[in-house]
Amino acid sequence: FRFKDSLAEDLQSADLVISHAGAGSCLETLEKGKPLIVVINDKLMDNHQLELAKQLHRDGYVLYCNCSTLVEMLQSMDLSALKPFPPGQPEKFASFLDKVFGFQ
Amino acid sequence: TGGHTTEILRLLSCLSESYSPRHYVLADSDKMSEAKIRSFEQKRAETFSKSQFSLDRIPRSREVRQSWISSAVTTLYSILYSLPLTYKRKPDLILCNGPGTCVPVCLSAFLLGLLRIKKTIIVYVESICRVETLSLSGKILYYFSDYFIVQWPDLKKKYPKSVYLGRIV
Repeated sequence: FRFKDSLAEDLQSADLVISHAGAGSCLETLEKGKPLIVVINDKLMDNHQLELAKQLHRDGYVLYCNCSTLVEMLQSMDLSALKPFPPGQPEKFASFLDKVFGFQ
Repeated sequence: TGGHTTEILRLLSCLSESYSPRHYVLADSDKMSEAKIRSFEQKRAETFSKSQFSLDRIPRSREVRQSWISSAVTTLYSILYSLPLTYKRKPDLILCNGPGTCVPVCLSAFLLGLLRIKKTIIVYVESICRVETLSLSGKILYYFSDYFIVQWPDLKKKYPKSVYLGRIV
């Protein structure tokens, strides 16, 4: 399973995703509307990854825990409390750049 | 690299063909981004037949957790390496989102601007991962970019010259 090109298929068929806090993993999962538990690796990270996971958790989109509390989380979690994740809006970026360059 | 590539391709997804040709600059050590880029450009060519792009590689300017002193040296080397590339391409716009690779490219463009050889607009979009703090690339390029875009309101507060458009990837 090491480095598949795309996890899209696996994500599509999953009922629950448990992932590290990498932005790509989190966002891809949330965009497919799958419930997500983010596991923080305290030892590995310079912990800026933590910022996104914490924010997503604050906003109610993901659950999060660390390696040692995962089992407990799986036993006590309430997935229905998670909010649906609105997609990002690259069109806003395109509009912004168009204004910068005077394209309309 | 990885996440940065995915983010930048999303940023590109809504751009019109006014933003063409696209020149991608990758770190020489980056194995996976090339495939993602080609796939993106291939799809794009289905809609915009005259679409053009190119790929260049430069030495990676800094490894994760590389020491300050050695980073300064390798970054300087990368800037020197980037200069002929930036001079050749003379981009109107440089769009980047944080990997170490982007710093020398932007600084080389900034230098060419100072020397009145080519004025390039430098747009930096900080990664969506950065909610409360800027990446090192961001901290540097906050001062060298023409537009510095952040995706979370806390950063807009801390860096008032930045632009906040919400989540754009």
